[in-house]
Amino acid sequence: MAYDISIDFDVAIVGSGFAGAVIAYELAKKNKKVVILEAGAGIPSDINKYMQRFYTSRAKVPESPYTPALFAENDQLQDPKSQLQDPKDLSAGRPTVLTLSAQKWKDEHQSYLIQKGPQPFASTYDRVAGGTSHWLGTCLRFVPSDFQMQTLYGESVKEFVNWPIKYDDLNDAYGKAEKELGVSADVTDQAYLGIHFPDKYSYPMPRIPESRTDTLIRDALSNLSPNETSFLGMKDPITRIGIRALPAARNSQPYGNRRACAGNTNCIPICPIQAKYDPTITLNDALNTGFVTFMDRTVASEIIVDTARQSDGTQNVTKIKFIKYDNSDTGKRIATGTVTAKIFVIAANAIETPRLLLMSKNEGRTVNGVANSSDKVGRNLMDHPYYVAWGLLPQTDDLRKRAFPYRGPLITSGIEDLCDGPFRSKRGAFRVDIGNEGWNFVVAGGQFGADPAITTIDFVNGMNGSGLNKAQPGEALLGVDLAKRLNDLISRQFRIGFLVEQTPDPENRVTLSDAKDGLDLFRPAITYKLSGYTRQGIVAAYRMKNLLFQKLGADDFTMVQGDDPARFEEQIDGNPVALTYTGAGHIMGTYRMGTDPKSSVVDDFQRAHDHKNLFLVGSGVFPTGATANPTLTIVALCLRTAEHILTEDFKMPK
Amino acid sequence: MANIRDQQLGTSPRKQDAHTGLTRRDVLAGAAVATGVVTVAGGSSPANARPDPNLREDMVAFVLLSWALTGIAPDSLAPTFGRPPPPPNTDLLALNPGTDPIDIKTDYFKWITAQQPVTFERLLKIVKDNRTSPTLAATIMQKVQADPDTTFLARSIVLLWYLGSWYDPQDLKTASPKGAFIPSRVVSAKTYTQGWIWRIAQAHPMGYSELQFGYWSRPPVDPNGKPPLAFLTDKLS
Repeated sequence: MAYDISIDFDVAIVGSGFAGAVIAYELAKKNKKVVILEAGAGIPSDINKYMQRFYTSRAKVPESPYTPALFAENDQLQDPKSQLQDPKDLSAGRPTVLTLSAQKWKDEHQSYLIQKGPQPFASTYDRVAGGTSHWLGTCLRFVPSDFQMQTLYGESVKEFVNWPIKYDDLNDAYGKAEKELGVSADVTDQAYLGIHFPDKYSYPMPRIPESRTDTLIRDALSNLSPNETSFLGMKDPITRIGIRALPAARNSQPYGNRRACAGNTNCIPICPIQAKYDPTITLNDALNTGFVTFMDRTVASEIIVDTARQSDGTQNVTKIKFIKYDNSDTGKRIATGTVTAKIFVIAANAIETPRLLLMSKNEGRTVNGVANSSDKVGRNLMDHPYYVAWGLLPQTDDLRKRAFPYRGPLITSGIEDLCDGPFRSKRGAFRVDIGNEGWNFVVAGGQFGADPAITTIDFVNGMNGSGLNKAQPGEALLGVDLAKRLNDLISRQFRIGFLVEQTPDPENRVTLSDAKDGLDLFRPAITYKLSGYTRQGIVAAYRMKNLLFQKLGADDFTMVQGDDPARFEEQIDGNPVALTYTGAGHIMGTYRMGTDPKSSVVDDFQRAHDHKNLFLVGSGVFPTGATANPTLTIVALCLRTAEHILTEDFKMPK
Repeated sequence: MANIRDQQLGTSPRKQDAHTGLTRRDVLAGAAVATGVVTVAGGSSPANARPDPNLREDMVAFVLLSWALTGIAPDSLAPTFGRPPPPPNTDLLALNPGTDPIDIKTDYFKWITAQQPVTFERLLKIVKDNRTSPTLAATIMQKVQADPDTTFLARSIVLLWYLGSWYDPQDLKTASPKGAFIPSRVVSAKTYTQGWIWRIAQAHPMGYSELQFGYWSRPPVDPNGKPPLAFLTDKLS
């Protein structure tokens, strides 16, 4: 039976991911009464349910441990032809990598996002505890140039804009964010391309040790000729390319009542011992203050703005309407309600936040959506298109020359020093991840499933899905021969990934589709393509891959499926080369920050230009996307925002 | 997916004491008379009886079969297998099938029996009939591969031990040699974490490490100081 709820708080927050949880905690510590509306199911009392779902999932994808269940009746087939739950029935649907196949990406009965193309938007998110439940833990700072793209490169790349803040405006907040998340890294290792730290600063914990693959790649790139690296277009000739330990919110020592990493090689989708920070940790801290009310299975459906105007001509938000649904994935409405508050914070990620803003039409008073006088809401959607490559190291009895994957955190090191330089006026920058999970998700382009299963099946059943069983017909082995062959091959597998900078393009955008979800709300539609600038970034990544593989003496097994919807071709050295990308899960740009209300949605404190008591937070505010993973910058911005709300809106002393 | 019948998992024959001297077939025959119903899968003849995980000779044959197919020593697949050692010249089938708290062999035995009782019985018979062979592993591999039915069930059994997942023999038989998606089922969370491929790769199941911080910086070492892959053998010790 439907009933109406009316509640009142100091602050109402939509979304319980990083941004929402951090702001809730900061405000609750100062005794502000906060309510969080979370669209997904609640946080379980421990993570065993998530782990059991992960262990028994045939498709071990980033979304597997979390709800809603991907497949009806828990039938978790990874078969591209098998049917997922229809998002029209789900109360809080979400994208999944399983709907990025040629068969599914444009099928509105499979894909939660209505993908209008021309290219697929390949990133996904979760509902419970935000889009970042399944993050890897990477906590890179942006380099100073990333905030000044218009000044530095805007003459040749018109799409670039400056951030309204610079690196130094965030330096202290970065430090606070590193403390809250518990980041393991070394200052000396992280001072590159202009990144600097306050005097005597140190990260909360020492860096995470590097993996065998990291060491081999470090050695391989230690002696290069300027000719070999001239394609990079760096300012000075490059004769070595260093690797750096990846700063990560992953404990290298006990920290925050959590254990040190035990190398479960499962950061994505879930750390079984919570050595990796996830948003439920700050959320629990927030709840423990006693000042935070958490409402799960509660979907914000409209932001209501006042009919009266403030002295500056803007209108405040008066309340948020919400829908509560029952205890199932396909739950029906059990109540509707409204929450009133002094301050409203939308922290629902860069797809769900613009969706809510665009849904909020106030009976025609805000026909283009709330906070959208600039017409920028939903525009400039960005990701870090992720180009992956995989190879096999040479056969050797020297154990130090083998990669030994499936050991350690998923990624322990990266190449960071190539992400800024004069080349940025011509092509997208990239940073490089070095994977520690072999060919796990890359094998055969993911078309048959994951490794080590695919390589194993190949040599048990005389097949060649992996590309490794080249004999005709394929070898089918048993016994000790089988085991030794698999040991030899798997221990030499490695993969790398390139996160490529994407230009903000106003036509890459989130709009409302005609398709609805289980609560009768319109689902997001996505229009998306890679610019020539971004594609050239992937071309440079392809060349970097070739250089690295050559130096390693590795055989290249990278392939692009013929029917991959993200496939595209570029001419490289006179030959057409098939390339592709997947998503990094870094959804950015759809309510950009800026100083001018005509060209941006929020100011540098993430306050909406149009509505002074409305804050839109998260990576949607990023005017440009850089190459660093966005989470640390999200948290730094949100800590800065929380302090601003306390001093400016609640008039509390600093 | 072909013929997943996991609902039969809970219907294994009633437990019998492997030491009473009564054979399973005696008991089943008696049960059939008593109830008037013949419940044995695959046919009504006692010759088609289901393999029984509670029968010592069946379980020992299964562990030996698994050893030959996977290359992994019997007492690694089934901790304490063979202990205490039998006197010289004693029948292999009199060995202790092994007891351990995880007891993954029983899970697999029941699972395979539920899927393919007739072919499974044939595989166990190959082991029993050839148990005096001086090259037992090689003999088992050769005899198993003499027939498509036993070949593909044997492959399913290898994948079960290696990956903790069930790949139906029929799906393996019809899969394209170029590579194909093959449906599978994770038998349980326990079987995922017990998959041998991870140890063959000198790693650990993703999401289930029992190692310590920083181990990944060094090439793998055996926690008991044994040489790498010491659990692989084609000889019975």
